[in-house]
Amino acid sequence: MSFSTVLSAAIDGLCVETVHVEADISNGLPVFHMVGYLASEVKEASERVRTALRNSGIVLPAKRMVINLAPATVRKRGSVFDLPIAVAILAALGTIGQGRTDGILVAGELGLDGNVRSISGVLPIVMEAKKKGCHTCIVPAGNEMEGKLVEGIRIIGVENLHQVCSYLTDRREEVLKEQNKRKMETKVEKYPDFEDILGQHAVKRAAEVAVAGGHNLLFVGPPGSGKTMIARRIPGILPPMTREESMEVTKIYSVLGRLDPNYPLIRQRPFRSVHHTVTKSALIGGGRVPMPGEISLAHQGVLFLDELAEMRREVLEMLRQPLEEKLIRISRVYGNYLFPADFILVAAMNPCPCGNYPDFSKCTCTSGQIQQYLGRISQPLLDRIDICVETPKLPYRDLSGSGGEESSGQIRERVENARKQQAFRFRENCIKTNAQMGTKEVKRYCVLRKDGETLMRQAYTSLGLTARTYYKILKVARTIADLDGSQEIKEPHLKEAIGYRTIEKKYWGR
Amino acid sequence: MMYEYWLAVLPGISDRRKKDLRDHVGSARKIFFSEKEAAQQLGEKERKALEEGRKMSPEKIYQEFEKAGIRFVPWFSEQYPSRLKRISAPPYAIYVKGALPEEERLSVAIVGARLCTPYGEQMALEYGETLAAAGIQIISGMARGIDGAGQRGALNAGGTTYAVLGCGADICYPRENFGLYTDIQKKGGILSELPPKTEPRPYFFPARNRLISALADLVLIIEAKEKSGSLITADFALEQGKDVYALPGPVTSPQSQGCHRLIAQGAGILLNPQELLSEMGVSHIKIRQIANKPKKMLESTENILYSCLGFTPKGVGQLSEETGFSSRKVLEELVTLELQGEVKEISKNYYVRIR
Repeated sequence: MSFSTVLSAAIDGLCVETVHVEADISNGLPVFHMVGYLASEVKEASERVRTALRNSGIVLPAKRMVINLAPATVRKRGSVFDLPIAVAILAALGTIGQGRTDGILVAGELGLDGNVRSISGVLPIVMEAKKKGCHTCIVPAGNEMEGKLVEGIRIIGVENLHQVCSYLTDRREEVLKEQNKRKMETKVEKYPDFEDILGQHAVKRAAEVAVAGGHNLLFVGPPGSGKTMIARRIPGILPPMTREESMEVTKIYSVLGRLDPNYPLIRQRPFRSVHHTVTKSALIGGGRVPMPGEISLAHQGVLFLDELAEMRREVLEMLRQPLEEKLIRISRVYGNYLFPADFILVAAMNPCPCGNYPDFSKCTCTSGQIQQYLGRISQPLLDRIDICVETPKLPYRDLSGSGGEESSGQIRERVENARKQQAFRFRENCIKTNAQMGTKEVKRYCVLRKDGETLMRQAYTSLGLTARTYYKILKVARTIADLDGSQEIKEPHLKEAIGYRTIEKKYWGR
Repeated sequence: MMYEYWLAVLPGISDRRKKDLRDHVGSARKIFFSEKEAAQQLGEKERKALEEGRKMSPEKIYQEFEKAGIRFVPWFSEQYPSRLKRISAPPYAIYVKGALPEEERLSVAIVGARLCTPYGEQMALEYGETLAAAGIQIISGMARGIDGAGQRGALNAGGTTYAVLGCGADICYPRENFGLYTDIQKKGGILSELPPKTEPRPYFFPARNRLISALADLVLIIEAKEKSGSLITADFALEQGKDVYALPGPVTSPQSQGCHRLIAQGAGILLNPQELLSEMGVSHIKIRQIANKPKKMLESTENILYSCLGFTPKGVGQLSEETGFSSRKVLEELVTLELQGEVKEISKNYYVRIR
């Protein structure tokens, strides 16, 4: 037999397309020819494969070898094709028997010594293999655990070409025995706990409300007041991820090759802290070949933007669509890419360039400077932040005090309760949290009693609210009521929500 | 008259030279047409400026004034404020939107830092209100901070107030005081010695300050840092023989350092608006009870919170510590107070008391 075909897969964004690797060996001038819309790293595979085969003791005959990766319309990128090409050649040579590769998907990178190296994106590849009806996947040993996250398909982790040959020829049992020794381990990772933060009760409360209703949050406070510390603890009070959510997040990290080989499943909600010099494509994803960015890495978790006012405006503007739609669309000439981006935005900023406003004895900024500083944040972005709270500088007593603070677990319990009520409320809608309510839902679910109406009317005129802030206050009040276990929104709920309203630039400053 | 407008806006010749020139030649019209006579009086540069100036159409200038609704009051006009004539370098002309200060009525300048504290702002407002209610004209510069607050106070009390700008009278600077700019035109006037369309420049402001003190009989400095433009106004006032009063503040507050320095040097001290009025010999007519606003009956928790608040901004955390209420409770009550107009949020979750 001088022709063979092996199944593999190409990754494009977060999507996977199965690719047939065909090898044909015929008489003629000895060449090694590869075709099929290949990126340069795939073209280089020919050198790696030939050397790896030779170093594994397999002598290639002086014949004409043609490798085709089909379908020819799909661009093939990455190093996953080394191993399937090698297997296809071995099959064409007859080393591997006929039909042995049927229903098996192969992916992996080869070293010159014949060792199989880890690749990225194994999880989505295995998922796709299962969908396409494969019974087995051969993946690098370093990605074995990752592949095993998918149930109902056999995963064979291989360390070198020898093992692949063994598995696909006669000594299958040996390899399997080796495999069974390795067991999936789970690691329980701990989030930093709210216990460690002394004082700052108002800020903690705001964080609790934000998480309970899925609201975006803005901290305003002087440098060193613990904005980052608190933000880091927010994923810990979110309800634990479901298996489905976990897999979604793991898939993103898999494509980027950022999984721990021993504990591949991400069960901890991500916390992504982004520096203010971040570029557009690093934040939302992109590149010539679009890859998920920070907002997708923060999927199901928290995206923390420190020094919000220092960030470039056009970068912040990019966040508008993902905050609204919970996903990001990136369009390129050769296709559209969709990356999930469902996160809670936590932003932090100083109240003024020097950070001391409104402490007039320390603040050295002019009102013009403060206005200019605040002006850097785009209003549309502020419009998507429901809760704004000040993080004060800690008094000494709070620094030296010890214990007695609520733990993340206690807060999470309340959050989960509030989330349950929301799940019940929105069981017929396609939204999950209060923050996602549109005008229609607000009108339906945030009904006020008479005293609440009066309060809001008064607030609307005397505080100069806009329609948008008005709705935001109602949404936050709904969450606060949920936390209280209250069916209706009462006056104290509204008042607290008003206290959290986002800064209105024109009312700020001297 | 068209030619007078032309001469007034003519750049490149100082006010004093213009005045001399006009005295010598007789009228602006003559200056425009008789090249020789005018030229004799002038130096090389000024002659060039005059040549250049002749290219401008006096008619057009006049029409622009008409269009902008700006009145032109040159030094020889009967309407020219006599208070300005008494200073060492009176402006050649004053451009006015609205009215000019009345000659017979007392006028007081309220000036101070742009970067003021809530305390200063509140005090400026209060002095503005009380003095204006007693029929005194308030003069200021419509700047951010103290100036604007003083004038806003005067307007609140239904009094008259005049703003002297460091730019053309048709330009609202700073932009954020646009509301004030339009209101002042109705209840007083916007004045400037700079021709219309002149953009604000830093060096215009000290010169502007001499007019503020000149138009006032008394100058109040509400808040000023150690180095402040308001102190320039105070210097001008002393030079012009006007009384200067300064408002004390906490000795630790940088915003009051300038005022304290003035008091140390012998400036009057502002104890309260009523006392100032009696010192000035004005029997203060209480048009509205302002200073002692009847205190509303606040519910007890609110009362405790309210009494903890002052003119120094306090955050929710600090208040919760002082009162012993939970931060949630504090936030709720602060919103209640805010809705009642008792306190004001000046930065996120930082509140100050209003009066």
